[in-house]
Order: sequence, then C-alpha cells, then structure tokens
Amino acid sequence: MRRWATFARILAPTRSRHYSSPPPAKSTSDPFSLLAPQLAELRHSLLSLLDSGHPRLSEITRYYFLHPSKQIRPIIVLLFSRATNGLGRHWEHKLWAAQTHGAGGHADELDWPLTRPDILNDWNPSKPTCTSPFNSSPFTIRPRAPHRPSPPHRHPHPSTHEPKLYDAEYILPTQKRLAQIVEMMHTASLLHDDVIDESALRRGQPSAPAAFGNKFSILGGNFVLGRASAALSRLGDPEVTDLIASILSNLVEGEILQTKAVETDGPTEPAELPGEPLTKIQDAWNIYLQKTYLKTASLMAKGARAAVILGGCKEGDIWREIAYAYGRNLGIAFQLVDDILDYDSAAATLGKPGGADLQLGLTTGPALYAWEEHPDMGTLISRKFQGPGDIEKNDPLKPLTSQARNFVAHSSALQRTRELAQKYADKAKEVLEQLPESDAKNALEALADRVIQRRS
Amino acid sequence: MLSRNEMRYRHQQWMRRLRAYRTAAAWPTSLVAGDLDRLRSSLLGLLGTAHPTLSEIAQCNASDTRGQFRPLLVLLFSHATNGLGSSWPTKQRDALLEDPAAALDSPLTRPDILNVPHPSTPTHAASFAGVFDLHPAGLDAPPPAPAPAPAPTAYIPALASPSCLLPTQRRLAQIVEMIHIAAVFHDEVNDNDSVGTSTSAGAGAPFLDGFGNLLPILSGDFLLGRVSTALARLGEAEAFELLATVLANQAEGDMLRVHDTDTYLRKTYLRTASLVAKGARATAILGGCAHDTAIWRDVAYAYGRNVGFAYQLVEDTLRGPARARVTGPVLFAAEEHPELRPLIRRDLADEGDVEQARDYVSRSHGVERTRALALSYAEKAREALAFLPNSEHKSALDVLAHAAATRTWL
Repeated sequence: MRRWATFARILAPTRSRHYSSPPPAKSTSDPFSLLAPQLAELRHSLLSLLDSGHPRLSEITRYYFLHPSKQIRPIIVLLFSRATNGLGRHWEHKLWAAQTHGAGGHADELDWPLTRPDILNDWNPSKPTCTSPFNSSPFTIRPRAPHRPSPPHRHPHPSTHEPKLYDAEYILPTQKRLAQIVEMMHTASLLHDDVIDESALRRGQPSAPAAFGNKFSILGGNFVLGRASAALSRLGDPEVTDLIASILSNLVEGEILQTKAVETDGPTEPAELPGEPLTKIQDAWNIYLQKTYLKTASLMAKGARAAVILGGCKEGDIWREIAYAYGRNLGIAFQLVDDILDYDSAAATLGKPGGADLQLGLTTGPALYAWEEHPDMGTLISRKFQGPGDIEKNDPLKPLTSQARNFVAHSSALQRTRELAQKYADKAKEVLEQLPESDAKNALEALADRVIQRRS
Repeated sequence: MLSRNEMRYRHQQWMRRLRAYRTAAAWPTSLVAGDLDRLRSSLLGLLGTAHPTLSEIAQCNASDTRGQFRPLLVLLFSHATNGLGSSWPTKQRDALLEDPAAALDSPLTRPDILNVPHPSTPTHAASFAGVFDLHPAGLDAPPPAPAPAPAPTAYIPALASPSCLLPTQRRLAQIVEMIHIAAVFHDEVNDNDSVGTSTSAGAGAPFLDGFGNLLPILSGDFLLGRVSTALARLGEAEAFELLATVLANQAEGDMLRVHDTDTYLRKTYLRTASLVAKGARATAILGGCAHDTAIWRDVAYAYGRNVGFAYQLVEDTLRGPARARVTGPVLFAAEEHPELRPLIRRDLADEGDVEQARDYVSRSHGVERTRALALSYAEKAREALAFLPNSEHKSALDVLAHAAATRTWL
C-alpha cells in the first residue's frame, strides 16, 4: 500500500508544498466545463439508482433529472473532493478502501445492501443482483452465512501524515456517490416544494405536480428520499450519515419558517422612535437568513463537509471547516441572487415564473431592504402582499402587488442585496485561501463568481 | 389455499377462543404501558413544536390507544429478545456508560454545524447576522473513546433478566410510529385540492379535513425530517438502511393498483407489513444481533412481517372498499361474483362502483375469507415466536398476533 501511494505521488503533477513556495499563476477554471464529463456520468448512473418495478414511479422520480439543473450542489462536492483528497490524516486508508474489494469503499460495492435483498424488497430492475422484488411465499427462518464478507486485513498506515494533494482529478467512489445523494435530496425537496408552491413550471418545463398530480409528486419525493437514504447508509461512515441525514430536517424546518408570517404590527413609525422599527426589521432579517441557511445553504455546506470527511479528514483537520464555511457562505449568496432575479428577470430567462415570491407572499432580501427605506412596505409584508390596493390593475389575471414592486424598484434594495450577496461570495473565496493550490480550488473560486454573475 | 369450509371452521375456532380470552380483544399493552404513554406525549410535544394546529389535531387522537400497535410491537419484541444477540453486553454497557438522553441527542459533529435544535447549541452559533467565519478546528469535544473490546469468548445467548429496554430501542419505537403517521398525513394529499382549501376528508385522517394540502405535506415532511436525524443517531447502519427502504416501499405501495391477489399482497407488504417487519428486525439489531449468524433478526422479521399482514387484512375487512381501494374482501367476492371484475379493473373509479362492490362483498364470503387469511398469517407469526425463549413478553407478542387477526375494531 505504501509503495502504491509513493508511486502515485511521483506520477502526480508537482504540487507546491502547503505554506511554502508561491502559488503558480491561476488558470481560469470554469467549474462547469471542468466537471462536465463527471457530471454526465453521475447523472446517468443516478437514473439507475431510482429505477423501480413501477414504471410511473420511475418516470416521476427521474423527471427532474431529465431536465438537468445547474447541478451546483454535486459540483461543490466533486470540487472539494479534488481540492482536499490527500490532505486528511486518513487519506491512505480511504484510498486503500477504494481500491480493495471487500473494504467497503470500492465502486462495485456501494450498491451492495447491508441487509439481504429478500428482506429489503426494494426492487430495482437496473440492479437485479443487489435487489429483490417482494415474494409472497412464506419467509423461512434458518441459519445463513453472513451477508457481507468481513473486510480484508490491512497493514496499519504510518502514524505521521503529510498533507499533500493526491491527484488533480481523482475522486473516490464514495465521494461520487455522495454527489448523487446530495442531488437526490435536493430533487426530493423540489418535488415537495413544487406542490406546496403550486408551481406550474420548473426549468422551463411543466413541474412534476403539473405533469403527474400532487399526490404522485409527494410520493415520488418520498421514494427519492428513501433511495438516497439507503445509499447514504451504504457509504459506511456514521458521521457522514449523521450530517447528511440532518439536512432533511433543515429543509423542512426552513420551509415551515418560510410559511410563517413575518411579524410586524403594521407600518413602522417614522424616525421618532428609531430603535423600535429597526428591531422589527432586524428580526425579519434574522428569520430570512435563517430560512435561507436551512433551505439552501445547509445542503451545500454539509455536502462539502461530508465530501472532505469521506476523503479521510478527521476531527482537528481544518479542511472540513473550510468546506463547511465555503458551502454555507456560497449557499446564502446563491439564494440572495435567486431572490434578486425573482424581482429582476422575466420568466423566459428564469425558467420559472418571475415574481413568484411576491405571489406566494414571501418576503425576501430585496423586500426587506425596501422596507428600510419605505416604512409602508411593512404593511404590505404583514399582509403578505394580498389585499385591496395591492392588485396590479393592468393585469387582472395575475395579481401582483404593484406597490411592493414599486417600493423595491424605487429604492436601492436590489443594489444592496447584490452587495450583500457579493459579501458572502467574497467570504466563501476567502476561506479557500488556506487550501493548497489546485485547479479544483481555482474552480471553486470561479464558482463563487459565477453564482453572483448568473442571470438565471 | 384452504377450502371455504375449512376456513370457516378455523374462523369459528378462533372466535370461540376469542370469547374465552377477553383480554385478547385488546392490545396487550400492560407490560409496556408506561413507555407507550411517554411515547405518545413526546410525539404530541414534537408535533406541537412544528405547528400549533398540529398539536391540537394530535390531541384529538391522543386518547386513542388502539393506534399504537406498531410501537407496542417494537417495545415488546425488544424485551423479548434483549440478551440473545452476541453484542448484547456491548449494547448494555454503552447504554449504562452514557446518560441515555445525552447519548441519543449527542451529534457526532458540532451542534452549530448540524443546526438541528439541540439543548446545548451555543447562542452565537444560532446567529445568522453575519457571514460565517471559519471556526478553528479542535473546539469540538473529542469523540468519546471507544469502549474496550470485550474478551473474545463464545457468547451464550440468555434473555436479559430483569428484561430491559435500551434507550435506542425506545427511540426506534418512536421512529416507527412517526414513519406511520407521516404516511397517514401524506395520504391526505390529493390532486383536487389547492394548497389552501380542501374538498374531501380522507379515511385515514379525517381530522385534517378543511386544511388543504399544505398542512398534510408539511406535517408529514416534518416528521420524516426528524425521523431521518433520529435514525442516524441510533448509530446502526443496518437499521438506518432498513427503515430507509421502508420509505421507498411505502411510496411504491401507495402507487400500486390492485387487480389480483398477487398485487394485493404486494401492496399490503409495501404499505404496512414492511414497516412492522423491519421495525422488529431493527430492534433486534439495536439489541446486539447485528453481525450474528444466529437467527434472531430473521425471527423478528418473520414475526413482524406476518403480524403486519394479519393486521392490514383485518383492517381491510373493517374499512370496506372505497375508490382506489380494492382489498381482500372485494377480490374474494369477485371469485363468487365475476361481475365485479370490470369494477376491479377500473379501481372502483366510476360512480356507484363502491356501493356495488360493498353490496357484492356483503352477499359473498369475501370478509370471512380475508379474515381466515389473516388468521393464517397470525399463525405463522406465532410459529416464528417459537424460536424465542419463553418470557412474559413473548406471551404478550403471542396475544398481539392473535389480537391483530381477530379484532373487530379499527
């Protein structure tokens, strides 16, 4: 094992040592083109993870993967894998596990269930050797050999470890699977959110509830969640399981937070009592940012952190902290830009109806900034933009609140939101500084810029 | 398949025994009544934190002990098997070394990273006012030192005496119930309602009538979110995988259309028996049977699977057919009245189909035969129990199987 590791280091391109020589000139690494082949491969194999004996179910669960998203979440997982593989203290063990049959990290084994297929009864026609359909014959009890062989013995790795990037392009099979799991969890939440929001469109196509109905969309989301969770357990890392499993709670509680009304008692008083109105706005900001963390940033932050843990970084390694901080700041920047675009962009560019946030009664960053400059915005917010005088007179079919839009447009709200997003994106780039130089690191920086610059 | 006369005879025998043992008509809760009460109040509290309306709704169902079949099964099975698994000493030691509440709640990474409401979350971590700074690593408490490995000796399985319950198993019972309730909530979602209004009441949760789709979806999702976190914290990958597949099973089962016995049994397994079977198996695993070649996990699975079938078949006889709910009595009635077949093929969707189906069922042996089938499953469950050493909890499980198959109440 040791020889292999040394050999690999010789073959790998020379990397400047961490903390010493100046970094090489930065190449522009576009994250999307850098990973395009991997993303295509992952999406293709992800479809097979969702196959079932029920054609309609398979159709629904795969629906959102057929019109691919920006895939920013798996990109973060893959990039952080490349940017940190080799740095963690237990990297050698992880590499060994990925290259040795029976150690639990090999690509062939990630589909192997922990329990016998005839008990799980989670039939997948694309994986006929690992799964089994329900059989109504009686279940017999008899002693059986262990379902999975014990892992092969391994020489203990050296006690000292030198953090050094392993390879520009290598990603562990477990990390690839994690990227798929993260995308599956995101999709499961979309399937539910589109029912809750009654969205007709997603990425320019009919949404799942529009195409299949509410009930089936909810069930489809549950199915994807079930498959993602089963795949998670097979990664064999309890800490990663804990981290990723907690994301679901975050997503739901973010959704619940979002549906609660922003607490206001009507229009804020003008500057006579400067303290009080500011507190209400500050509270509203805290709720909004917390909701944004829970619904958007948490998955990115924890996905990145989990990728680094799968690469062998243990407690005490700075790399997992960097990953989490990057994901969290990037996620918030991402959502802020999303909220700007909802006011700023037409449906055709966006792929989903613009002005959706106002229609749903949601108060986002731009609305909050506008409130700081126009106290009457507070009333509109507390009424969730519904009510007389708020209806767009020009277009009776699509009631929007013209006043709210006007407040936002006639203030520095959009500009200030953009600045706030930039601040988060800059912080994301800043935390990357402690990573050794690599194409992946450059791509992560470029990703932060792309998030800010996007128009859809 | 037994002949109709034989089935009728068996059914009469059981009914005779039922009358003789009055306590068999109710769930055998006395041995675990305290745990069941605590489970119920904890679940009520949890629902209340999600949404105030939810706890009001849940209060209406609070007094209903009949709805606790699943957690009861898990609790009884834990007692009946703890001590048999070769890792039992480790499990017992782990439970004793740590404060039970803390162990179940303690995350593996820092609370501010998990961001799940946690008693010890430092206040600064919950603030979202500013950009998130890098926290220096090493602030976390070090992971607990692994318990020293027990000396390798052949383990002699023996029931723990006095019988006991691990905190993880208590938590599992709660998880199983939450998965069930989440499914009931999600069952309420329909295609006709918009998010804000409702036109119809569901058979499973009529208390949600009038709330539209939003509340059922969010409530179900809320429970599944907590389930996901709690499952991970049980610290047992096999148990996590088992219950994850239940979610996939239930979704598939809900979509399945029944048109013959085969699809009916498959749907019943996916929707009902799977959760019961895997819950029982998971509790055996938590009790230390994870890596055994011994049969305890399989016994648990066989018992749970068969009781799950018995339970659902009887429930189907008590509920009767409904639109998109073709069940045992209807299928058996169709064998005597072929005119029912086209109705089955269209899932009882047309106007008047349900009434017609009910009529045919009442004029046939559909209910009797379904109940007889339920009894045969209960019999298989009781056969599985024979592998376990005798105990009062094993007897209670015997009564439970019997009650599942013979009860006359929902």
